[in-house]
Amino acid sequence: MLTLCDAGLLRAPTLTPLSGTLLPGELLAIVGPNGAGKSTLLSLLSGFRPCETGQLLLDGHPLPTWPIAVLANRRALVAQQEPPGFDWHTEELVSLGSQPSKALVAQLLDELDLTHLARRSVLSLSGGERQRVMIARGACQLLSRRLPDATDGGLLLLDEPTSALDIGQQQRLMRQLRRWASQHQMAIACVLHDLNLASTFADHVWLMHRGQRVASGPPAQVLTTAHISRVYEVTLAPPSTALFSPAV
Amino acid sequence: MNPRQPAYISVRLGRPTMTRSTQVLSGLALALVATLAISASTGVLGISPWAALSGTADPLSLQVWWQLRLPRLLLGMAVGAMLAGSGAAMQGLFRNPLADPTLLGLASGAGLFVALWIVLVQGSAASSLYGQFAAGFLGALCVCLLIFGIASRQGGGSAAVMSLLLAGLAINTLAGAGGGVLAFLASDEQLRQLSLWGMGTLTNALWRTTAVALGVVAFALWLLLRSATQLDLLQLGEATAHAAGLEIAHLKRRVVIATSIGVGLCVALTGVIGFLGLLVPHCLRLWLGPGHRLLLPASMLSGAILLVAADALARTLGAPAEMPVGLLTSLLGGPYFLYLLMRRNRPC
Repeated sequence: MLTLCDAGLLRAPTLTPLSGTLLPGELLAIVGPNGAGKSTLLSLLSGFRPCETGQLLLDGHPLPTWPIAVLANRRALVAQQEPPGFDWHTEELVSLGSQPSKALVAQLLDELDLTHLARRSVLSLSGGERQRVMIARGACQLLSRRLPDATDGGLLLLDEPTSALDIGQQQRLMRQLRRWASQHQMAIACVLHDLNLASTFADHVWLMHRGQRVASGPPAQVLTTAHISRVYEVTLAPPSTALFSPAV
Repeated sequence: MNPRQPAYISVRLGRPTMTRSTQVLSGLALALVATLAISASTGVLGISPWAALSGTADPLSLQVWWQLRLPRLLLGMAVGAMLAGSGAAMQGLFRNPLADPTLLGLASGAGLFVALWIVLVQGSAASSLYGQFAAGFLGALCVCLLIFGIASRQGGGSAAVMSLLLAGLAINTLAGAGGGVLAFLASDEQLRQLSLWGMGTLTNALWRTTAVALGVVAFALWLLLRSATQLDLLQLGEATAHAAGLEIAHLKRRVVIATSIGVGLCVALTGVIGFLGLLVPHCLRLWLGPGHRLLLPASMLSGAILLVAADALARTLGAPAEMPVGLLTSLLGGPYFLYLLMRRNRPC
């Protein structure tokens, strides 16, 4: 379980202190316009940037007191895409950061529709395929390093996991994230740009704006016409067939 | 769960299949022994290593073999392993297949200090290998501290890769200019010494320098080999690697210090021997894949093989004169590297 008590960042990029919890089995969507501080929030949650005010507790212990190697058993990060420097095979890359069983790797590749690419070099994959490989790696780290006495599946953080996926793959990925959350009692936080995906699949939504969380709660309460038109500076037509369709 | 308690699931990272790495490494080790044996028997004086080891050769041959050729072989082995191993580690650290110790400015910084020593301190006195050694060592260390100072000022404590690269670029430029000024100031004799040393040669090998080199290089290589799994993790990018349990600042410090000690020493003893650090890991990666637990030791062994072989060639091609081995490696390595770049469109 992840708990934020007035956790914030003072140095740029800043983050206004915020509180909240992320429970096992929950899927949290972090949404907001470009430059709103979504990725900054994610690096705070992952501990890459230690919080400068307040506290961030994982399983009741402040994040900085966790030895970095032990913390890696409990939380994994899928960052925004960086081009891989060297030509790893898909299977090798998925196994980086843990020592998974062959069965687990095969299962994850299957779940993310990557089995046919298992022996391919990641440099030869498309952007969307590579993105799914990195998501499989993050899940693999959590599942294979799960401690025997752990009661939940840890914390998986994803930064824009759907940015390079087609709409079919986006749906499949979000459904898979939900499945991981409920099967393994994993807590999942992901930065999303697609508000339809967020409202369909997330339990909670945090709406970010200029380094500040301006709304949080169930999707129906956060993703309102008033919030969205203010934060994204767009005019919205009344809901028709799609959940939100920009006015022409 | 208590976070202070150690992770009792021991985590070994990545692959490789043990059988394959054992095969590859023992094959390379055998090839190194064979190269050493062949190289030990070639030269102006053809001396069989067996005769020398058993003491049945004539006294002159014995002396040449034990006092000149053997330390030279061992020095070549140490320098080759160090250059190729640190090249592989630097490429991993920068996640860039074109990185090597010369990129960080370590080699040129060490070179500048050695040139300073030759021109300003040594003056007209006889050349002193220990002085050069100390100067090169000091130069690499200064560059190391300087680039970390610059990088940590910009990167908020942890040395960011890009600022390290830019610092290296500035130091290379500075060292090049400094070398030019020194060449202008140097006397004829010093200039000759500078230019011979600058081309890269193993002729300075004596037992006392070789013994020091072997010790220092063994220590530096051990540090690098211990970083192999962490280097694998770093390939995920800094934030992801940190989340997967990697102490990034630790790793950077260890790799840069090991490289600067080893490379500073090599440059001081042999001058700049080009292309080994770039070429060897590059070719091996095509063959063995990018995993550092196999790539690092394989690079070290192959670097040793290549430099020992190249030195044997340099000794025999123009006998009784000899060619600087650094020229030979650059002449052979440069075109091959260009060929590789043209044949493969991908940057690695």
